[in-house]
Amino acid sequence: MSELDPNAAGDTRRDFLKKSSLFTALTLTPLTVLKAADQKVDERFAEMFEKIPLNLKVNNKPYTLKVEPRVTLLDLLREQLHLTGTKKGCDHGQCGACTVHVNGQRVNSCLSLAVMNEGKSITTIEGLAKGDVLHPMQAAFIKHDGFQCGYCTPGQIMSAVACIKEGHANSKDEIREYMSGNICRCGAYPNIIDAIQEVKEKGTAL
Amino acid sequence: MEFFVDENDRVDGIAKVTGKAKFFAEYEVPGLTYGVLVTSTVTKGKITAIDSKAASNAPGVLAVVSHLNKPSVAGYEQEGGSPMKIFYTDQIFYNGQPLAIVVADTFERATYAATLVQVSYAKEDFNTDFEKSISDSTVKKLQGQTPYKRGIEDAYKTAEVQLEQKYHLPVETHNPMELHGIIADWRPNDQVTVYAKTQGVKATQNTIANVFKIPVDKVQVNSEFVGGAFGMALRTWPLEIATIIASKHLAKPVKLVITRDQMFTMVGNRPASYQKIGIGATKDGKLTGITHTAFGQSATYENFTEGVVNMSKFMYQCENVNTNYYVIPLDMGVPIWMRGPGEATGAFALESAIDEMAHALDMDPLEFRIKNDPEIDQVQKRPFSSKYIKEAYKLGADKIGWNERKNKPGSIVDGAWQIGYGVSVGVFGAGRGRATVKGILKADGSLVLQSAASDIGPGTGTGMTLIASKLMNIPVGKITFELGDSSLPPAPSQGGSATLSTVGSAVNDVCVALKATIVELAANANMDATANFVDVLKKNNLAMIEKTIQSSQNNPEAKNYSMYSFSIHFVQVRVHQLTGVVKVSKIVSVGDAGTIVSPKTARSQMVGGAVGGIGMALTEEALLDHRYGRYINNNFADYHVPVHADVPEIDVIFINKPDLIVNPMGAKGMGEIALIGFSAAVANAVFNATGKRIRTLPITPDKVLEA
Amino acid sequence: MINFQYVRTSVVKTALGLIGKDPKASFIAGGTNLIDLMKRGVTAPDKLIDINYLPLKKIEEIDHVLHVGALASNSELAENMIVKDKFPLLMLALQAGASAQLRNMATVGGNMMQRTRCAYFYDTTMPCNKRAPGSGCGAIGGYNRMHAIFGASEACIAVHPSDMCVALVALDAKVVIAHTKGERKINFIDFHRLAGNTPEKDNNLQKGELIVRLEIPLNNLNKNFHYLKVRDRSSYAFALVSVAAALDIQNNIIHTARLAMGGVAHKPWRLIAAENFLKGKNPTVANFEEAAKIAMNGAKGFGENDFKLKMAPNSIIEALTVAKAKS
Repeated sequence: MSELDPNAAGDTRRDFLKKSSLFTALTLTPLTVLKAADQKVDERFAEMFEKIPLNLKVNNKPYTLKVEPRVTLLDLLREQLHLTGTKKGCDHGQCGACTVHVNGQRVNSCLSLAVMNEGKSITTIEGLAKGDVLHPMQAAFIKHDGFQCGYCTPGQIMSAVACIKEGHANSKDEIREYMSGNICRCGAYPNIIDAIQEVKEKGTAL
Repeated sequence: MEFFVDENDRVDGIAKVTGKAKFFAEYEVPGLTYGVLVTSTVTKGKITAIDSKAASNAPGVLAVVSHLNKPSVAGYEQEGGSPMKIFYTDQIFYNGQPLAIVVADTFERATYAATLVQVSYAKEDFNTDFEKSISDSTVKKLQGQTPYKRGIEDAYKTAEVQLEQKYHLPVETHNPMELHGIIADWRPNDQVTVYAKTQGVKATQNTIANVFKIPVDKVQVNSEFVGGAFGMALRTWPLEIATIIASKHLAKPVKLVITRDQMFTMVGNRPASYQKIGIGATKDGKLTGITHTAFGQSATYENFTEGVVNMSKFMYQCENVNTNYYVIPLDMGVPIWMRGPGEATGAFALESAIDEMAHALDMDPLEFRIKNDPEIDQVQKRPFSSKYIKEAYKLGADKIGWNERKNKPGSIVDGAWQIGYGVSVGVFGAGRGRATVKGILKADGSLVLQSAASDIGPGTGTGMTLIASKLMNIPVGKITFELGDSSLPPAPSQGGSATLSTVGSAVNDVCVALKATIVELAANANMDATANFVDVLKKNNLAMIEKTIQSSQNNPEAKNYSMYSFSIHFVQVRVHQLTGVVKVSKIVSVGDAGTIVSPKTARSQMVGGAVGGIGMALTEEALLDHRYGRYINNNFADYHVPVHADVPEIDVIFINKPDLIVNPMGAKGMGEIALIGFSAAVANAVFNATGKRIRTLPITPDKVLEA
Repeated sequence: MINFQYVRTSVVKTALGLIGKDPKASFIAGGTNLIDLMKRGVTAPDKLIDINYLPLKKIEEIDHVLHVGALASNSELAENMIVKDKFPLLMLALQAGASAQLRNMATVGGNMMQRTRCAYFYDTTMPCNKRAPGSGCGAIGGYNRMHAIFGASEACIAVHPSDMCVALVALDAKVVIAHTKGERKINFIDFHRLAGNTPEKDNNLQKGELIVRLEIPLNNLNKNFHYLKVRDRSSYAFALVSVAAALDIQNNIIHTARLAMGGVAHKPWRLIAAENFLKGKNPTVANFEEAAKIAMNGAKGFGENDFKLKMAPNSIIEALTVAKAKS
C-alpha cells in the first residue's frame, strides 16, 4: 500500500486546514483559510488541501489522479474518466448497475470510495472485449437477448462473468441466486440466465 | 464490428453490451456543470424563505436557483393553470417537490451544497391517505370518465349467482434502472440543446418551446438510448424545466440526474386504486351483469385519469354492464401512465372477479371465459379486426399443463408447498398514429431510415430494420434506423404499444415508395423491373435516392372494426404453508398481437411484462407515511422489484396471424398486454393453491399467512 | 456528503490511536453500510480511517476454535473450506445476506456493525431516537411491518438486519476486541444490545475500540442445520423473519439444539428456552411446535408486524423440520 501518513493528516478538519496552510506557499492569506475553517461556512479553499493522490489501473490503463475522498469509484469512472459504461442505478448498493471488477472481484462501485482503490486494478465493461472481439459473455447476451433498454446490462455482464469465475453457475437456480444483486426492470432475467448458462457450459476461459 | 449470429439480434446489441451506448447523462458537453435538487420536506403549504447563503458560499457552487431568483420563463409568466410551473410558485403541493436547484462544478460539491440550503415553510394540513379518503365524504372526488351503461344498471344484483368484491392496488413506481434527469445547454442566442430521457423527442421539443416561448426549431432534443421508462418519460417533468432554467440563468450546460428516492416522488407513479366489482351469472355460467366502479388517486395541482374500467365493458359477452370511475386528488406527486396503464389496474379486479365467479359456479375458469367470449365488440357494436383468443386459451393451457389443475382449491400439495394454477386475460387497444419516415437508399447497397421515434427498450430500431429488410430484401446489417433526435422527421411518443404499428407503417410506406422509384429508374435505364437497386442506381449515376413519407392513417376499413391486442397469462405458483411465501414456478404467456415482426425482441417484451407482473402481483408497493406525507420505502432495498431469483422459466407463445386492418404489416402492439392481467393470474393461482383469495396487492407472505 | 479526511494505516495500534484522538472519526472497512449512510446524511464523520490494510483477514482453525479475522469478507468466509465443512449454518446465513457483490465488499466486523434498516432511521426529516436521540420513534404508530417483536422499548423498535450474526449467536461465537491497552473478549450474544433508553447504541463496542476477530468453537452441528430466511422477494431483501437452527441428533435424541432468529429484535435473538426444551427430546414435529411456542414467550406486535407472531413460530418449526430432514 502507499501509506498516507496518518499523523500528518491531522486531527479535525479545522486542524487539518490549519496545518496544511502552514506548509503551503499560497497566494491566499492563511487567515482567510483559517477563518473559513473555523466558521465552516465557506469551504472554497478546501479543495487544494483535500484532494489526495490516487493511483489505480482501469482496464489495464494506469491513472495518476488527485481526488476528493468523498468521490466514489462509480463517479470517478463516469464523471472524471468518462468511462460511462458503468451505470448509476441507485447509488446505494441496491441494484448492481454499477458492478465492476476490483482485482478480479465483482463489487458495487457506488459504495466504494475511489481512494480506497489505491493500487488496485479495475475492470469495467469497456475493458471486457478484446478490441473488436466481443467477450463470450457479451456475445451470449446478444444471442439470448439478455437485455431490453440496456441500462443494467454492463452490470449484469460484469456480474455474470464473475458468477462463473466464482463457481456459482452450476445450475439455473444457482445462477439466479448469485445474479440477484443485479436488478433488471425490463425483466430480461430468463434470457440473461440462458446466456450465462451457455457460456458456462461452453467452458470458454473467461 | 461484424457480429450477427442471427438477423433477429438487436441492432444496438453491440453498443449495449460494450458500454458504448450513450444514455442522456453520458454525453460530454464542454463546460458541463452539475445540478442537484433541493426538495420539500413538508407536504403542503408555502415556502416562506430560502436561505441559500451557506450553499452559495460552498466550494464550486455557481448558483442556487429557485422561485426567488429564476430568470424569466415566458410561458410561465401568466399566473395559474396546469401543469405546475416550477420556480414560478411558492406553493408546496407534495412532499419531495423540487424547490431549488443547486449548481456546482462537480457532482460531489453540488450534492453537498444542496444539503446546506435551508427552506422555511408555512405548513398546512394535508391528505395523502387514499384508502381513508374513499369513504370520507369530505374528501373531493372527481369524475374520471363518463359513466358507461349498457342494458340494465347493476343487473348483477338480480342474477341467479351474484358476487360483489373489492380490490385494492397500492401505488406502484416505474423505477426504470436509469435515473431520470436531463442535460440542458442553453446558449446566449436562445437556442437550447438537451440530452433527455424521453419517450418522445418531439413531445419534449414542443414542451420546451412552449414553456420558454421560443421557436420549435431552436430546441434540439437528443435521446438515442433510454434506460427504461415504462411510461414515466411520456411527459416533460418540472425537474427538466428546472434544469433548463438553471442553464439559462448561468449560460452554462447543466446536468441533473435525480436520486433513486426522488424517482418515487417527482416523476409519477401508477396510482393507488380501489375497485368494486359486481358480477352476476346464470347457474349454467352465462354472465348477466357486470358493474365496475373504480377510484384512482390523483394530485391536487394536476389531474390524472386512465382507462381502469375499459376492459370490463367489452371483454366478456354480457348484456348489462355499467362502469364508473372517479379520481381523488391528494397532496402527492401527480401519477403518470405506467406500463399497461389503467387497464392493468382494471384487469386485476375484473380477472380476479371472473375467477371468483367461476369458483362460485364450480366451473373451470378457462371454460367460464370461453363460454362468455364475445363475438363482437358490444360497446361499438362492430366486429374485432382480429381475435384468436380461444386458440390462445388452448395453446397456453396445453403448454402449462392446465389439465393438472384441480378445480377444488388446495388439492395439490408437495411437502410444505401447495401448488395452484391461474389464468387471466389482458387486452389493450391496437392503435396506429401518424409518423413520418425518411428513407435514403444508397448505391453502396445500404438503406438509412430516419424518424424521431424512441426506443425505451422494446427494440424499435430492430423492428423497423426487420420490416425494411423484408420489404426491400436488404440484409439487416445494411440497414440503419436513426431515432431519438428531434431534428428527424416527426414520430409520436413511444407509448400505448403503438410504435411498431405507427412508425412501422411509415417505414413500410417509405420502402414501397423507394421500390416504386427503383422500378421507374430501372425502366428509364431499360433495365428489368426486378433488377437489383444497386445496379439500377449505378446505371442511373445516382449515389442515392431519398423519400420522405408520412404514413397514411388507418385504412378506410378500419372504422368498421374494433382493434385490440390480447394476451392470456397462465401461471403455476407454489405457496409455502408455514411461511406464506409465494413463488411463481411456471409461466406461459400467449400473445394474440397479429404478425410478429421481430420474434426475438417480441418474446423479450412478453417475458419482461411477465416479470413486471410478478412484481405487481407479489412485491411492489410504494408506502407513504400519512403522518408526514413521505414515502418510507423509497429505495431499491425496500421497494421490491423482482430479482433473478423470483423469475422462473417463461414460455411465450404467439398466435402470429396478421391483422391487416390495423396496418400493412399485420402487427399489433405488445408492450402493454405483456403485463395487463398478469397479476390476476397470480392471485387466481394463489387461490387455487390455498383457497385464500387475496384482493389487495401485493400478495406478500404476511397477507397469505393471515388470510 | 461533506468532504472528509481520509487516512489509512496497516498497523492496528496506529488505527486505535487515530480513532481515540478524534471523536468524529470513523473506521471504514467494506463501506457498504457506512457510505450508504453518509450519502443519506445519517452520519457525517469528518475523518475516515481506512482499516482495510490491517492484517486481520485470516480464517484459521486453532485448537478446535475457528478464528475469523474481522476484515475477512463475507464471501471469503462463506467460501472458506473449514466453514463449509464445519460451520455450514454460518455459510447458509452468509449466503442469505445482501448480494454477491456486497458480500465481496462487506467484512465480518462491518456486518456486525451495520445499522438498522428502519426507514425512520434513514430519513433525516423524520423522528428517530437512534439517529437523533430524543426526537421520538417514527416506527411506533407508523410503518413497522419490518420491526421487532422481542425486546423492543418505547424508544426504539428497530431490528438488527444481519443474517450472519444470527448464525454466529447460535454458534456461541466470541468477539475479540482491541483497544489501546490490549484486547478483551466477549460472548457474541453480549455484543449487540437491546434498544432500551439508549437506542443510539447498537452494541457494546466502546469508542476507540476495534473488532479484530471472532472465535467460534467447533461443534457437532454440521449435519442437521438450516438457515431459513423469509422475505418479500426470493433474494436480495432483508428478512421479515429468519431462523438459524442446528441440532445434534444422536439415536433420535436431540443432544444439543441451537436456535436464533433475525428480523425480530434489536439484536440477533437467541432462543435459549426453546433450545433447553428440545434438549433430550425426540426430533418430532410436536416437539418443534412446542419449542416454537416457548420461543414466542414475551413476543409483542406493534400493529403492522403482528403477522410475525405467526410467521416467527411457523418459521422455527419449518427450520427445525428442514434441519432434521438433512442427513
